[in-house]
Amino acid sequence: MLEVKDLTVAYGKHVALDGASLNVGQGRMVAILGANGAGKSSLLGAIGGPVRPVSGDILYRGHSLLTLPAHRRVEEGIALVPEGRGIFPALSVEENLLLGAIPDRARRSATERMAEVLALFPKLAERRRQLAGTMSGGEQQMVAIGRALMSNPDLLLLDEPSLGLAPIVAKEVFAALSRIRATGLTILIVEQNARATLELADFAYLMEVGRISGSGPAHQIKSDPAVIRAFLGGALADTR
Amino acid sequence: MLTTTVILGLVLGGTYALLALGLTLQYGIARIMNLAYGELTLLSAFVVVALFQGLGLSPLLTLPLVAAGGYGIGWLLYAVMMRPLVARSQGRGRLEVDSILATFGLLFLIQGGLLLAFGANFTSISYLDRGVTVLGVSVALNRLIAFGICVVVGAALVVALKTTRWGLIMRAVALTPGSAPLVGIDVNRAARQGFALGSALAAVAGASISMYQTFSATAGVVFTMKALVIVIMGGVGNVPGALAAGFGLGLIETFVATAIDPGLTLAATFAIFLLVLLWRPQGLFGARR
Repeated sequence: MLEVKDLTVAYGKHVALDGASLNVGQGRMVAILGANGAGKSSLLGAIGGPVRPVSGDILYRGHSLLTLPAHRRVEEGIALVPEGRGIFPALSVEENLLLGAIPDRARRSATERMAEVLALFPKLAERRRQLAGTMSGGEQQMVAIGRALMSNPDLLLLDEPSLGLAPIVAKEVFAALSRIRATGLTILIVEQNARATLELADFAYLMEVGRISGSGPAHQIKSDPAVIRAFLGGALADTR
Repeated sequence: MLTTTVILGLVLGGTYALLALGLTLQYGIARIMNLAYGELTLLSAFVVVALFQGLGLSPLLTLPLVAAGGYGIGWLLYAVMMRPLVARSQGRGRLEVDSILATFGLLFLIQGGLLLAFGANFTSISYLDRGVTVLGVSVALNRLIAFGICVVVGAALVVALKTTRWGLIMRAVALTPGSAPLVGIDVNRAARQGFALGSALAAVAGASISMYQTFSATAGVVFTMKALVIVIMGGVGNVPGALAAGFGLGLIETFVATAIDPGLTLAATFAIFLLVLLWRPQGLFGARR
């Protein structure tokens, strides 16, 4: 469904992503694990958003995405939940969700989608009228994920959905991701909480300083001693 | 006496509110501070007068025409003149400086055109200027009609922004442009629409001004300044705030003109403006950011 080929992203002289390649199959959940500054956000930003790569290509259903401006990609079914969430803080929760259904592909099913999202995040239903910016970090993350789902996506890109959240709130977010996963939606997720992510994902790529340094099925990655040392050390203590 | 001041003040305030609404849309959505705004207003006023004097067309009939013309001119101005500035400005600060300079130039261009076409004399028309009694106060019918237009157009805009899908898109772009592409909004297109709609409002305000005020080709800067004062008093990008501040300014000007001296109205406007800037730079109704 998604094929990233030898993608390089640079900001000025700083090369954030250096010839990364990966594949995401239809209906799969793929994780990208790596430390801060490994280039994960640049990779997601190039697929779903404003980041312009220097070289390489991104094929989505066989067509290159690079010529499409960011706002057109939502219409193709790619929904990005960026790091920092990218919500509209001065608008209400309900307005944020309705904005998610702005693309033509989502307009007809907006009412059903809204019901699904509110069932997934009952907290949002209680706070429909509240300004999104006045909510807690976890609730804002729910708004961001809910809004992405409102666009009726075929591919969901999640950038650090548990970043900065208290462990118990992060758990809630992962529980919601597990239910979203169960609907069969294709997901590409970048996370620092490797342990919880590998529980959900089918396949994982490991990133180090702008390069893909390894990959494999999630259950193998999970039990690879080298990976545990490099990526799971801290995360183990976090979730268990 | 007081009733007279209040009614005349509200009638004047209606025009001011509409004027400010267009400017606040242009700045709020397109991020362009349009210093030629008053000239667009004047252009519309002159066109309405010319059609009235030349062809005998009623200003009420030409109003939709100049509104559509204003939209078209705004659309073109954005696409031809502003778009390159937007494209080359990476941060917001640069666009503000560039657009102020560019529209400052545009101001003189339009003003020159108006002087050439309509001359430097004061212009006014006599249109429906018979008195109508409202709450015991005699008000010229043309003023009441101008007031009605402003109230209807202003209210329609507020309702559309608050309740429609289009309004939600406009508010999203005005409040958090960086997040808009994430939900599939074409920010450039929204900005063009906002700028064009602002020009259409300038044109409607101009048409309503032409019905009851005397104006000249060089008066545009006063309209821009008053609109700017109202926009800042109401909180930049705040539509209900601009409406309230517009009516407030109309009331204050009328009060100063009747109770103190008509020559002091502009001075009073700017005195209030200074006070607002000193104490509440975010505007009377603006939230702290």
